[in-house]
Amino acid sequence: MNRKPPNFAIAGVGITEMGRVYGKTASSFARDAVQLAVSDAGLRVSDIDGLLINSPGDLNVFLQRGLGLRNTKLLAEYQAFGSSAGAMIQYAGMAIDAGMADVVACVFADAPLKEGVSAGAAYGARRPTLKGFPAIAMSGGYGGANPRYAMAARRHMLKYGTTTEQFGAVAVQQRQWATMNPMAQFRDPITLDDHQSSRWIADPLRLLDCCLVSNGGIAVIVTSADRAASLRQPPVYVLGWGQAHPGMVQERGCRFGEVSGAVESGRRAFDMAGLSVADVDICQLYDCYTYTVIVSLEDYGFCEKGEGGPFVASGALGPGGSLPTNTGGGELSAYYMWGMTPISEAILQARGTAGERQVATHDVVLSSGNGGILDYHSTLLLSPHPHV
Amino acid sequence: MNQPLAPVHRDDASAQFFDATAQGRLLLRRCNDCDHVRGPEVPMCTECLSESFEWFDAVGTGHVESWVVLPGRSGTDAAPMPRIVATVELTEGPWMISTLLDIVSSEVRYQMPVHVSFERPDDSESIPVFRPIDHRA
Repeated sequence: MNRKPPNFAIAGVGITEMGRVYGKTASSFARDAVQLAVSDAGLRVSDIDGLLINSPGDLNVFLQRGLGLRNTKLLAEYQAFGSSAGAMIQYAGMAIDAGMADVVACVFADAPLKEGVSAGAAYGARRPTLKGFPAIAMSGGYGGANPRYAMAARRHMLKYGTTTEQFGAVAVQQRQWATMNPMAQFRDPITLDDHQSSRWIADPLRLLDCCLVSNGGIAVIVTSADRAASLRQPPVYVLGWGQAHPGMVQERGCRFGEVSGAVESGRRAFDMAGLSVADVDICQLYDCYTYTVIVSLEDYGFCEKGEGGPFVASGALGPGGSLPTNTGGGELSAYYMWGMTPISEAILQARGTAGERQVATHDVVLSSGNGGILDYHSTLLLSPHPHV
Repeated sequence: MNQPLAPVHRDDASAQFFDATAQGRLLLRRCNDCDHVRGPEVPMCTECLSESFEWFDAVGTGHVESWVVLPGRSGTDAAPMPRIVATVELTEGPWMISTLLDIVSSEVRYQMPVHVSFERPDDSESIPVFRPIDHRA
């Protein structure tokens, strides 16, 4: 199915300071991000008439008043975890296309890091108590995202022969990109040996397989294509999009860990845009773990199923590779803002304003969002051109 | 040596299940409308959406579908004690995630047969765990 050209575009992006930035709440980061995004677009906060909000929990619709917005036409908190940011941009675009709103701000912010508390402890403090059925696994230390993704990663290794060295290849190449991103939290190059000697978090995942934890906020301004064309930044068009939430049941025959929502989310986005994987110049893949990048590459069709390990080990993702991926360092090396991490870098690359790390050809940029334990998925196909 | 299990407490939804584990029984749910078997924690039939079910006793065997090794925290006077947590496909079909005991991580294999047993830390319900089925016997 080919769709009419999109009537909306991304006109602004705001990225606050990232990482161990203390003394600010998630709301405060969100306000800063929206301010930065409207200035980037050449708009004012009072131009915003729609606001979509995603956060791990500390942010809500009161943000509207925190921004001093009046008579807002669209206001909601949205929650499908790592797939949320991509989905919010989809809904913002549809609302604009329908004439419901003109300028929609989509925002994510979080502030889990506290001074003197480790990143793992800060994020893990949100875990529930050992009660009822979930406590059976948790009694053995199986709590939070790390062991659950490790369980998924192990299945991929068992089914397809994927190795820890191949996970490491993702970490090393993304860090190469991060060295060129002044916003990245980790900018020192790493080697495969560094990856292999980093401690186990949940075997088969090592420390350097895991995303970092960040305080900060990111906002994206979506408006009509006409209005975007008259604003400060080159418009970034959303040529196609999709979501897929597999709803897997863990029982005999389940393919947990082998596949993700990217299979269907990607197909829907490519069908809508009338494009294929061969048209993609740059990938920004949700990378909560190195493994997630490998399974996403397979599921989108950038390589055969099960060949993600050898594909990343070939050096395809890094600077000079055949498929520049996570070019800002991603969630592994730059900053962890859920789905806004890939989207923010995708916007900069599509505009051609990513500085030292800018990829020369940037006509089609794929951005993915993945949430839960491969339970929720969204895809955006972005371009500086209204037609490709 | 594995790190001891943390105590588990019941809630309303798990009360009958833990009454059974105290007797050394692992309960599953069978749908009264379509006979589909689901895990003890699943409130609604995953095939036909019926909420009508009956508890029944699992045979208590299965095989390993995946596993993770959790390094444990090293104390000042003791070496870290790793734990193995496995996803087990029960013979009846549902997957269950719990601790795997009596084995070192290097010996765990995909589709290795295991059986359920029960551990009861202080101030805890009886917790279903898995142990390898010994083929050397």
